[in-house]
Amino acid sequence: MTAPGAAPAEIGIETRVREEVERALLRNVKGLEYLSAGAPEMGLTPKDVVYARGTLRLYHYRPLAPEVYRVPVLLVMSLVSKAYILDLTPGQSFIEFLLRQGYDVYMIDWVPRPADKRLRLEDYVLDFIPDCLERIRRDSGEPDVSMIGYCMGGLLAVLYEALHPEGPVKNLACFTTPVNFEGMTLFSQWTDKRYFDVDRIVDSLGNVPPELMYASFEMLKPAARLAGQVRLWDNMWNDDFVKGYRMFDRWAADQIPFPGECFRQTVKELMWENRLYKNELVLGGRPVVLERITVPFLHVMAEHDHIVPYASAKDLVAMIGSADKKELLLKGGHVSLVAGPNASRRLWPQLDIWLSGRSV
Amino acid sequence: MADPTSPIPDPVAAWRSWISQSEQQWNALLNQAMGSDQYSQWMGRMMESYVTMQKNMAESMSRYLGALSMPTRTDILTLGDRLAMIEDRLAGIERILTAAGTSAAPIDGSTVAMRPPRTKQPPTETTPGGESRGT
Repeated sequence: MTAPGAAPAEIGIETRVREEVERALLRNVKGLEYLSAGAPEMGLTPKDVVYARGTLRLYHYRPLAPEVYRVPVLLVMSLVSKAYILDLTPGQSFIEFLLRQGYDVYMIDWVPRPADKRLRLEDYVLDFIPDCLERIRRDSGEPDVSMIGYCMGGLLAVLYEALHPEGPVKNLACFTTPVNFEGMTLFSQWTDKRYFDVDRIVDSLGNVPPELMYASFEMLKPAARLAGQVRLWDNMWNDDFVKGYRMFDRWAADQIPFPGECFRQTVKELMWENRLYKNELVLGGRPVVLERITVPFLHVMAEHDHIVPYASAKDLVAMIGSADKKELLLKGGHVSLVAGPNASRRLWPQLDIWLSGRSV
Repeated sequence: MADPTSPIPDPVAAWRSWISQSEQQWNALLNQAMGSDQYSQWMGRMMESYVTMQKNMAESMSRYLGALSMPTRTDILTLGDRLAMIEDRLAGIERILTAAGTSAAPIDGSTVAMRPPRTKQPPTETTPGGESRGT
């Protein structure tokens, strides 16, 4: 309690001291809870496996709205991370948001096995994605599909669409999708062809192990882990903060192996030669020209994206041939753009506004 | 949260601000070092050591498992390869049957009839903030 008539500065100090003492006590109690708690459960939105083949899983999420838009939505996940980042927890799930807004949602997820070391970009773009689109058309009974790709999933989506401009895709949205790999300065430096023997890695290991992928992402922000742990301790009294930290921390550490041949191709053709940006990429004997994409197109980038920096993503919209195209630069980082409380206030409503009118 | 109008400095808020600034400074400093040729060279050597170690471990383990008459990782992967080939062939057959019009039923028991109608219309347009460029 504050004595009546106390000066405002005294009230401030007293309140703050009391607050910090309370937080210190809560930190001790909740710190023990944190250490003994199990892994947070994520990816809980009800879904059915529509199709599974090798590395590929095609999910259909059960609708949550009484009526849905005519055009179903296909989410294409990145090759380097697990799909539950888009389905964190009820209230913080992008997929749940789409379902509640009335979209019929499918998702392609990749579960790489050792045998998938031979997969190349061609397998994803000319086989898996067209196969899934055909199955969605059969499953939904609709001829059109909207496609959304996140990070490298966006790259796969634009590669597909550039090679299938007459296909069933009605709208294409990409989040943080790189096109100019020279803009990924640190990754470019680390994979310098003078020192980085990609052939030796792939020939010896097959798929690139998840711990290597994790280490490379961690190195982009080397001080982030320590600072994050200090912030966690500071906010240990705050249940929402701790819940969010645990979810993101678990997802970040839960990397998947990168299929070996695809990694070799990505390093050699995209990182070293920058072929996509130069319109020199050839997949399955067919040149990939992004100008051939003519469907309505949206690209959303994050201001503070350290994995796909703005310089590597900013030219994508200019290279697309669509008359109806738009780019958005939103506050946030590579992950907070698509997941968490900030995404629910920034990206999700923007996407809904863009997509809803184009989904009928 | 610090009150900006308060005449008394808030040490906790200052400490939080210092953490954020330090993080950014360390990231920038280390990124600068990691962007050098020397670092790339060092990373190349580390990768080489890692690959050699992994390879040697795999070979030793394979020898031990062979001596114990147990299947090695290579044996399991060979089986996995064969299963993957069977899966691919089944998918190919399924595609041919679908194209021939003999198997058009949705998979996994889900049926279009049980789903909500595709009649939803977009709400009246609103425009939230964000820097955008478009045509």
